[in-house]
Amino acid sequence: MAIYTVGRRRVIIALLLTGALLLTLDLRGNPVLDSIRDGFSRAMAPVERATDVVTTPVQRAWSAYSNYDDLERENEALRDEIDRQRGTQAAAEASIIDYQLLLALNNLPSLSGIETAKAEVVGGSTNNIDQIVEINKGSDSGIAVGMPVVNQAGLIGKITQVNATTSKVMLITDPRYSIAVEIIGGIGEPDDAIEPTDTSPSGRTPEEIDEIVDQSIEDATPTTDAADPAGDPTPDEVFANEVPLPEAGAPTEATTTTTTTLPEAIPVGEETAPTTDPDDNPIDADGNPIDADGNPIELPETTTTTTIALDPDELEKEFGVLEGRGQGRPPQVKFIQDIPSLAVLQVGDLIETAGGSESLAPPNIPVGRVINRADRPGVAGPLLEIELNADLDKLNFVRVVLFQPLTEVDE
Amino acid sequence: MFAAFVQSSLIRLIPVGMVMLALQRTVLVDIQVSGVILQVVLALAAAAGASGGSERGAVAGFVLGAMYDLVEGTPLGSTAIAFTVAGVVAGLLALIAADPQWWLKAIFVGLGCAAGEAMLPVVRVFIGEENPWPANMPKVILIVALGGAAMSPVLIPISRWCLKIRGSEWTAPAEQPLV
Repeated sequence: MAIYTVGRRRVIIALLLTGALLLTLDLRGNPVLDSIRDGFSRAMAPVERATDVVTTPVQRAWSAYSNYDDLERENEALRDEIDRQRGTQAAAEASIIDYQLLLALNNLPSLSGIETAKAEVVGGSTNNIDQIVEINKGSDSGIAVGMPVVNQAGLIGKITQVNATTSKVMLITDPRYSIAVEIIGGIGEPDDAIEPTDTSPSGRTPEEIDEIVDQSIEDATPTTDAADPAGDPTPDEVFANEVPLPEAGAPTEATTTTTTTLPEAIPVGEETAPTTDPDDNPIDADGNPIDADGNPIELPETTTTTTIALDPDELEKEFGVLEGRGQGRPPQVKFIQDIPSLAVLQVGDLIETAGGSESLAPPNIPVGRVINRADRPGVAGPLLEIELNADLDKLNFVRVVLFQPLTEVDE
Repeated sequence: MFAAFVQSSLIRLIPVGMVMLALQRTVLVDIQVSGVILQVVLALAAAAGASGGSERGAVAGFVLGAMYDLVEGTPLGSTAIAFTVAGVVAGLLALIAADPQWWLKAIFVGLGCAAGEAMLPVVRVFIGEENPWPANMPKVILIVALGGAAMSPVLIPISRWCLKIRGSEWTAPAEQPLV
């Protein structure tokens, strides 16, 4: 048939070969292609801005149509969670400050001495393979390729491409992402019932949100100081009342808090009481205080909080490599070989960056928790699936840690 | 050379491709169908193939794919190869119908989109990426294909204008005088 002549086939083959040639040149690094890429990105910028302005009503209409119910419920749940967390924030900040002082006292590296650049996520991945977002800060702000990117929950990725005013961030879930991490064993509990759940869009299942909302209504907690919905927050506002960087606690700081309700001091009873407690107060057979006639006494309750420190000797640090596995799959931590101490690692253990002279990220940036453990046959170590602290589907404001590995600083 | 460039179809295809890329990077990132991002640039490449044949589809796919790579930071040529295949597959329509109906064009645009979307991770495998397959690859391909087919009534006229393709003109044979 005339439609598929030899000449037309040659055109198609020539295009495919040209594509392969460009691929080879680009993967080996070519300054000409890099400058073309940079120039095209600059040319696209005004077109994108104009398109964004024109299509904003469409985006908002779609968002209102598809997310309204979820957002309303999520908003209620988040307000309640803010109230719950406000009480613990002060204690947590004090602990972090103590930790940083201890590190400084012992001349140990700390995240607090590293500068960061605050940025806003302005674009997401446009295909269904790459896990890359774009932020509105670039080399003008001191950002360079390889620097780690965090949000308030922990590590989210690393810089892979930098222009003057924008940068591309490869997320932890991208299959090309890998980083050295340490796992603090002995924190979690071997609970096979903990499974990764598919939640959207808040990271909570509808049942969890219902539970929180119901709890919120019961508690009737005031929410007058919620964020003003009229204006969008700036990065400075978002990070205003925050400790310098999300930083994992040292193993010695891991604590478990239990709350116990105890009765107040019991009035001294008469000697005719059938039974007395160690303080000689009359009690009935169930241990409840009673008066002289044997009637139960209504007592006011007091609450005491007991803080139990975990034994550092029970904690074990292991080092592995975290690798992304693509959209919809939790990242994995791999170990090169199986050693007896890996048996300590279990579901719930904390994951944080390991640092090191060649690592692209400083140590002690929290990453996530182990949600699944799979033991491989032979001498290969176990595989750990982790749930990230950061919700990568809801990225808004992030910070680029202006960190360079020691090896590069020396150069 | 400049005159050849001005007279070629690229002078229209590149600005239209830039607008489509901007749409892809703004509105279509937010408007996802079941968590899958619709691919309007891929659909335009396939539409060019469906309306102009495999050769034109391949050229349009290559140019649009290269633009996509340049702006997205993906390895230059990886998306271009996949979009070229999309244009070629959609262009197979010309093998079965000289003047196809709109729904037949939509089907082939969808097929082209499916082929292009499936080729993306294949190319990534060839350049050494480990496990580039999305967890829900069949669903992604299906939704991208259906989205491309749905957009084809709009994209095919645009691609015809870009590539300067004129509609087929059928004329009735002149009546022969009866002897």
